[in-house]
Amino acid sequence: MKIITFLLAVSLPLAANSLPSEKRKNGPLVQDALSPVQVSLQESSAVFYSNETSKAFLYGTVVSDDGLIMTKASEIEEVESYYVRVGTKKYRDPVVVARNDIWDVMMIKIDAEGLKPVDFSQARDLAHGTWVVSNGATERRFRRPRAGIISANKREIPGGSPAVLGVGLKEEGGNLLVGEITENSGAAKAGLKEGDKLLKVDGSDIKDRDGLIAYLKDKSPGDKIKLTLTRGEEELTLEVELMARHKLYGQGKTRNDQLSGGEAQQSARRTGFPMVLQHETMLNRNTVGGPVFTLDNQFVGMNIAAVNRVEAFAIPGKELSEIVAELKKSL
Amino acid sequence: MKFETILMATCFAFGTLVHADRPDFNDKEAPRTLGDFREIQSALQSHLERARSATICLQMGGGSGSAVIVSKDGLVLTAAHVTSKVDEEIKVIMEDGREFKGRSLGLNSETDSAMLQIEGDGPFPFVEVDLDDTTELGDWVFSLGHSGGFDKARGVNVRVGRLVRTAPTTVQSDCMLIGGDSGGPLFSMAGELIGIHSRVGASREESMHVPIREFQAHWDELKEGKFIGEGGFAQKSKPGSGFLGVVTEESDEVGLKVTEIWEDGVADKAGIKVGDLIIEIEGEKATKELMTNKLAESGAGDKLKLKWKSGAETKEETIKLGERP
Repeated sequence: MKIITFLLAVSLPLAANSLPSEKRKNGPLVQDALSPVQVSLQESSAVFYSNETSKAFLYGTVVSDDGLIMTKASEIEEVESYYVRVGTKKYRDPVVVARNDIWDVMMIKIDAEGLKPVDFSQARDLAHGTWVVSNGATERRFRRPRAGIISANKREIPGGSPAVLGVGLKEEGGNLLVGEITENSGAAKAGLKEGDKLLKVDGSDIKDRDGLIAYLKDKSPGDKIKLTLTRGEEELTLEVELMARHKLYGQGKTRNDQLSGGEAQQSARRTGFPMVLQHETMLNRNTVGGPVFTLDNQFVGMNIAAVNRVEAFAIPGKELSEIVAELKKSL
Repeated sequence: MKFETILMATCFAFGTLVHADRPDFNDKEAPRTLGDFREIQSALQSHLERARSATICLQMGGGSGSAVIVSKDGLVLTAAHVTSKVDEEIKVIMEDGREFKGRSLGLNSETDSAMLQIEGDGPFPFVEVDLDDTTELGDWVFSLGHSGGFDKARGVNVRVGRLVRTAPTTVQSDCMLIGGDSGGPLFSMAGELIGIHSRVGASREESMHVPIREFQAHWDELKEGKFIGEGGFAQKSKPGSGFLGVVTEESDEVGLKVTEIWEDGVADKAGIKVGDLIIEIEGEKATKELMTNKLAESGAGDKLKLKWKSGAETKEETIKLGERP
């Protein structure tokens, strides 16, 4: 489907009547009126800074008083070493303790106590048009609030399993065969060949295409699996490293993606979430990960993707509380 | 001159009276308290359901845009670069997924305004239009559209912002827009339609809309299906590009005898057969010269009214020309 795109506008005549930028929706005067919500952002947001550049590159959401923080996995992985600020305090040695690739979240521990975690019990469904507040740009000691409204239906965003082999799969005469192999994929590096007949994964028989896909669904990028296959008369077992779907296949580059500023603005991973809230707060790939609050300081959810020019996704509070409970069990 | 001033003053007073319910937040520099934000929210939410139900997705030729219904019998306002042609069949999809056939009416290629008629049994959900041009710079507004195309699970996409610039034929807001929103509606916080999405700037906070007064200025022409202006938002079909798909020769009988038919051409589809006799073109006696002249000035998509004899029958039809191969 081709989307009718906008023509880039020619500037209006200079004589046009214009509203000063500080009064506009994302301007400082409007932001000032949000200061009662700024307190919650200040206390329950974490800010991730690159050790190399000292630049803030991502937010996190504080989920325990003793220093557990949730953030966006596919973004934080891109930075080799980082430190964290919560409120005005700096924490030097964050440790990754757990992850969930279906939701693209990472749980990180900092050596802290007495933090103010978000309150999951406050999360409820919000009507379209309800104001929500997120972190905008940040200063060293001050989180800047930015407002937007709930803009569309709460829903699942389809996208396939997060970890992929990098091959096409075809069923032929009761056999599962390897189809086209994607360049630079784990499958290509392990030496899989088109036409290989797949028999077992990690020692268990593969029933069919759906069976293998279901098995991969619970895996993470970076995990290794053993595939047993026959090639001609030969039986082989190859070890294949799974890769992140968004890295191997990208997310497509539509005209709307170009209009949205492309890679610099959009989250690299922006599809494949079991449930999201959509809002229209102006975020970019470096300002997701943090909490979303209502005007009453009620916790709504955690920003998980800057999708495009007009859409931001957040994991709803209820779903986030379940993910956190599950990850805590694994600690 | 004096008369003009008085007239304007009177209009202003009248407008103020009619719209005495203008919300306070519009006259504030910026929201000062959370209460101001809540008032904006409740104004928006009180009109949102109706606005969403009247915001439709238009699909044609593999493209997708947005539009809004402004009457219960299905008159629609949209952008010229969305319909791009007059009298063209366009698919209409409502937020709930119901589909209707629509037909584009007129368009203004210079300001990007256009109309369309839904061809189906109403009544359709529709919105009120701000005919009195009551909004001012700085007013809070909200924007709807099928951003990126129709998505039933997502529904209509709503955004909020302020009017940040005004000019005679364009109004600018900081409601963020994207491809697929084109032709969608911009509303005042009184829930009235004030503009149609047209184009965006490089910044996410620059969105241009065609103001309703621009539709009003050409209302009848748009409704009658006129193609207005020679602007960049839509291009007229090229003269001479229209194709009927018949070969004819002057006949001893009065008219043009059809000697060949282009298979699946528009004449073939209209039921014209080899041996038929075309007797009138656009109400005039059919001659070779008239046919040649009419086709030379018509473009693909333009229409030609023909009357012809097929055996004992006389038929008449307005045929939409195809594209000359």
